[in-house]
Amino acid sequence: MQLIVNGETLEMEARTIQDVILHFGLEERPVVVEADGEIIAKEQWPFMEVRPMMKIELVHFVGGG
Amino acid sequence: MNKDVWQIGGHELTSRFFIGTGLFPSPYVQKEAIRESGAEVLTFAIRRINLASTEDDSILQHVEGEAFRYLPNTSGASTAEEAVRIARLARASGLSDWIKVEISANERTLLPDPLETLKATEILVKEGFIVLPYTSDDPILCKRLEEAGAAAVMPGAAPIGTGLGILNPYNIGLIVEEAKVPIIVDAGLGSVSDVAQAMELGVSGVLMNTPVAKAKDPVGMARAMRLAIEAGRLSYLSGRISKKRYASASSGHEQFIVK
Repeated sequence: MQLIVNGETLEMEARTIQDVILHFGLEERPVVVEADGEIIAKEQWPFMEVRPMMKIELVHFVGGG
Repeated sequence: MNKDVWQIGGHELTSRFFIGTGLFPSPYVQKEAIRESGAEVLTFAIRRINLASTEDDSILQHVEGEAFRYLPNTSGASTAEEAVRIARLARASGLSDWIKVEISANERTLLPDPLETLKATEILVKEGFIVLPYTSDDPILCKRLEEAGAAAVMPGAAPIGTGLGILNPYNIGLIVEEAKVPIIVDAGLGSVSDVAQAMELGVSGVLMNTPVAKAKDPVGMARAMRLAIEAGRLSYLSGRISKKRYASASSGHEQFIVK
């Protein structure tokens, strides 16, 4: 299915947000997920189903002032 | 002297140094500089994960396990709406409900947009965040942010990363006089003299990143800045002399030997 992840349209095998996280190997990293403008809590990742062209943001803390 | 503690949002702080985590030459130097700074509060930014790289570039891996308070910023936002969105993402990390509202509408100066900053502060306070807005050094604006529920107000000394020092010390002094919440000078400081000046004006703390991270020796500069904060704070509490137009001798004129 096609998803828009961090602004890029990508084709991947994914049914849930958890699948997207696993696809990028981010399961051990401190990631915050937003799907179509809604923040998805970590506990919800395995249950939150993705749909075609869903806008997913995967963000984290970087250095800043 | 009693322990000189202060509070933000009910949280007690001893250090008056908020240090940023950008631009350091390496994670090791950053860690050492943070240690020398004595800072209890670290600032961060929120960005997209680089999906093309498998390397963990999260800043947290370098500071984990130590007892810091995290102050994420909303840098990259140019409207209140964008800042609120970034703030919610930051809080969803579960690491902090503190947020530095930072909204820039001009890429060249990165000066804060005061109207959007006030709007975002109002919204985020209602949502239960501990809000620390970075704003212009305007005394009325700072008062408005306080009234909107900001836990501390952070006027800039000069544009971000310029190291120009306090461009309007008169305003910073007025802001401190009027404030009922802590005032933290954020952005634009360059050297220990700037920092000492800020503290002598009576601000509760300073937030710095570039002047430490980009110094030739960031670890040495972190220590220098810490000492400047201490010196400036003690000077403020001790009360400096007033300025006079003419000389006044240190030993008096009464028993001059040559007369």
